[in-house]
Amino acid sequence: MRLRPFVLLGSALLAATSAVAGCGGGSGSGGGAASDVASDAAFDAKTCQGGTLTVLNQGGLGKFDPATLYTSGGGALPSLVYRTLTTRQRVPGQDGTKPVPDLATDLGTPGDNARTWKYTLRDGLKFEDGTPITSKDVKYGIERSFAPELPGGAPYLHDWLVDGTGYQGPYKGADLKSIETPDDRTIVFKLRAPHGDFPYLATATQFSPVPKARDTGVKYQNAPVSSGPYKVEKYEVGKRLVLVRNTSWSRAVDDQRLACPDRIEITAGLDATVIDQRLSSGSGADAKAITTDTSVGPEQLARVGGDPNLAKRVARGVFGETKYLAFDTTKKPFDDIRVRQAVAYAVNRQSVINAIGGSELASPATTFLPDGKAFGQQPYDYFPAGETGNPAKAKELLAQAGYGNGLTVDLAYPNVDTDGIGPKVAPAVQDALKQAGITVKPKPFSDDDYRNVTGKPSTQPALSLQTWGADWPAGGPFLTPVFDGRQILTGGGNYNLAQLNDPAVNKEIDRINTITDAAQAAPRWGALDATIGKQALVVPLFHPKTVALFGKDVKNAYVDEWRGWYDVSSVSVK
Amino acid sequence: MTLLDTEAAAGTDPAPSRRGGAWRRLLADRSALAALVLVGLLALAALAAPLLTALEGQDPTTFHSRLLDSARGGVPRGALGGISGDHWLGVEPGTGRDVFARVVHGARVSLGVALAATVLELVIGIAIGLAAGLGGRRLDAVLGRVIEIAIAFPSLLLALALMAIVPQSVPRPVLVALAITAVNWGNIARVTRAQAMSLRSREYVDAARLAGARPLRIALREILPGLATPLMVLAALKVPNNIVNEAGLSFLGAGVRPPTPSWGQMLSTSTTWFQTDPAYVIIPGGLLLVTLLAFSLFADGVRRALDPRSVRV
Repeated sequence: MRLRPFVLLGSALLAATSAVAGCGGGSGSGGGAASDVASDAAFDAKTCQGGTLTVLNQGGLGKFDPATLYTSGGGALPSLVYRTLTTRQRVPGQDGTKPVPDLATDLGTPGDNARTWKYTLRDGLKFEDGTPITSKDVKYGIERSFAPELPGGAPYLHDWLVDGTGYQGPYKGADLKSIETPDDRTIVFKLRAPHGDFPYLATATQFSPVPKARDTGVKYQNAPVSSGPYKVEKYEVGKRLVLVRNTSWSRAVDDQRLACPDRIEITAGLDATVIDQRLSSGSGADAKAITTDTSVGPEQLARVGGDPNLAKRVARGVFGETKYLAFDTTKKPFDDIRVRQAVAYAVNRQSVINAIGGSELASPATTFLPDGKAFGQQPYDYFPAGETGNPAKAKELLAQAGYGNGLTVDLAYPNVDTDGIGPKVAPAVQDALKQAGITVKPKPFSDDDYRNVTGKPSTQPALSLQTWGADWPAGGPFLTPVFDGRQILTGGGNYNLAQLNDPAVNKEIDRINTITDAAQAAPRWGALDATIGKQALVVPLFHPKTVALFGKDVKNAYVDEWRGWYDVSSVSVK
Repeated sequence: MTLLDTEAAAGTDPAPSRRGGAWRRLLADRSALAALVLVGLLALAALAAPLLTALEGQDPTTFHSRLLDSARGGVPRGALGGISGDHWLGVEPGTGRDVFARVVHGARVSLGVALAATVLELVIGIAIGLAAGLGGRRLDAVLGRVIEIAIAFPSLLLALALMAIVPQSVPRPVLVALAITAVNWGNIARVTRAQAMSLRSREYVDAARLAGARPLRIALREILPGLATPLMVLAALKVPNNIVNEAGLSFLGAGVRPPTPSWGQMLSTSTTWFQTDPAYVIIPGGLLLVTLLAFSLFADGVRRALDPRSVRV
């Protein structure tokens, strides 16, 4: 079982693991994210085609193989080239958090209590070279993602598929018996346990077809065979990706992607402030530019708010994420619930939010699940700290716990701010706890070491700053890795930092996993979160928000609620 | 300040000095006097930092979230970065920490590290320079190359590398001072060596040698006093140089660790705010400028006072 948090295109999309949860059938309900749809009377999907779209990014071009990409809902750029069995729905508003069929004709037919999932491919699907796409190509694409040479994808299938554990990919000659392709249009997945969420997982790039004849292993990403509206003209790892129209694709076989621009030029390796500047000034080709990984920085927010021309060119969204303080409840002093509650009362969420850029870039969190119907969040605030903390109540609890004279604790955090839990946030937490008589000693770790140290119970610090993001908009991938007692991985890669192993919680997770109707599963996840919250195992701090600028000639840049960002396959520059 | 400037300013002509007159000349030099007062005030502010912040009623680490406009990215409310009776130089965007408190506490780090590094550079530079200048041809050949390498090595890179490999447990200000020393003792050693070589053939040195003085005694009692003038000037120029070095390292994230304040670190975090909170950039930047100017003027004054021939040139 591997658990790797992964930052993709600016949003931290965190991996959950194995027995992840139920939802499915395609009736997922929407997220309550803030959205500003750019009003654009001039946009018409029928005539939007043409022009060159420029994408200015900080990173995200380190790899482009469908097996190694780790995406939520297929990702921003990969989804232009790789079609998957299902995909996120490209519409504004809450319906954008639902999966819809992409290569398949529907969201899949569950059988055996959601232990098998059967998909049928659409008619008329072709690769860029004109050869038809078959279910065997989809199976082969998934098998590749098991090869040790092609690491990095979402780990779910390794655990979910009946013979997923130990499979070493197709290059060793073996195939996955748990994926059956009775004919060229049918594909059946056999799972070890019920997973009502399967249609959400099927949006990942690992579910895109790869023609075996043209597979070149690790070199495949240099000349991948497109199934989507664009094909790769040029790819320089880490620097540049040029996409041009794939003439074998048409809107007749794809009802999700508008694919307006004729050409898309993506540049990576730019500085965040440079991207901000270029998008806001919008001169030359930058007028038709967007970014898929750089939110407007706190320094520029006041300017964006004060300039009506800029304010129009901003997409505000939310990607389901929670930044929180994690306790190890097996270690002193956090084995005492009163100490954990004291910390929860003491935190000053206002100063934490200001530290990472203010209320435009984050909202205070008191629940572990992010806001929104899709997650099934049930609002709760058991240890009300108010906006700025309640040190008096915290001191009272500490005195009860026998720490009337104060307490000294270490706080672990990564020494970079990319995940929003680094050197900006840690001093804000330190200052708030100081008011409650808790002396916090900062313990910064290098970003590379951090997950290794916190992911192994033997080396895990008792108190650390953590982040968790949704692989898809549902409660399961949020709660399972963090609170399922069977997910405590002593060898490393552990995310159940509280070391919670509560049979009642485990049992409820299994029960929700059998539900294939997301609308029914969501409130159950919410209720589970609200129950677990009473134990103060984590202190949620904030949910991040994004403020994404786009060039002045860019149209139809509505916010995709699944990813909290505008959708590249929908924007137009004509 | 480049290396050549520094050495040129230090002068190469040995002038065994008449120091009583020098002090008088220094006090009569108006720009040097003003600079001296300014340097003194800064040093005093740094020393009395806890007192001054207590007077203001603030400290350098407490957050003030209510003084920030959260909806505008966390910029301070009010004009000029939130300057008020409570916060004399305003508050820091994003955190609301008091800028005055951070500036005076930052001065302790910046000036302390710069002074400590200068003293260390002098000790190492003089020792190696004297050894090279007086120790004979072979030792000179070896040490001369060592000095040249030390000078030629890209100093910032070496300092960054040193900061990276030394364990985290070593106190950062000490580490910064050592890193700066490691890359900056070279030109002091070179000046010392050159001066020592020209002084060693002076008659009074020969006299001491004939009287049977040991080499160490000659180096310390006969040669070193003759080096005082150029070295004092060089040291005075080194201090602002080292302030910049500390600021540079902190700016690059290799200096002291937050929440310990330092000027370079303040500059580093402030640069991105120049459009929305210019006061936050101007205050640490301006202070650094004034400090450097004061130290440079003072060093200039020291040089003029110690070397009367250059006065009014």
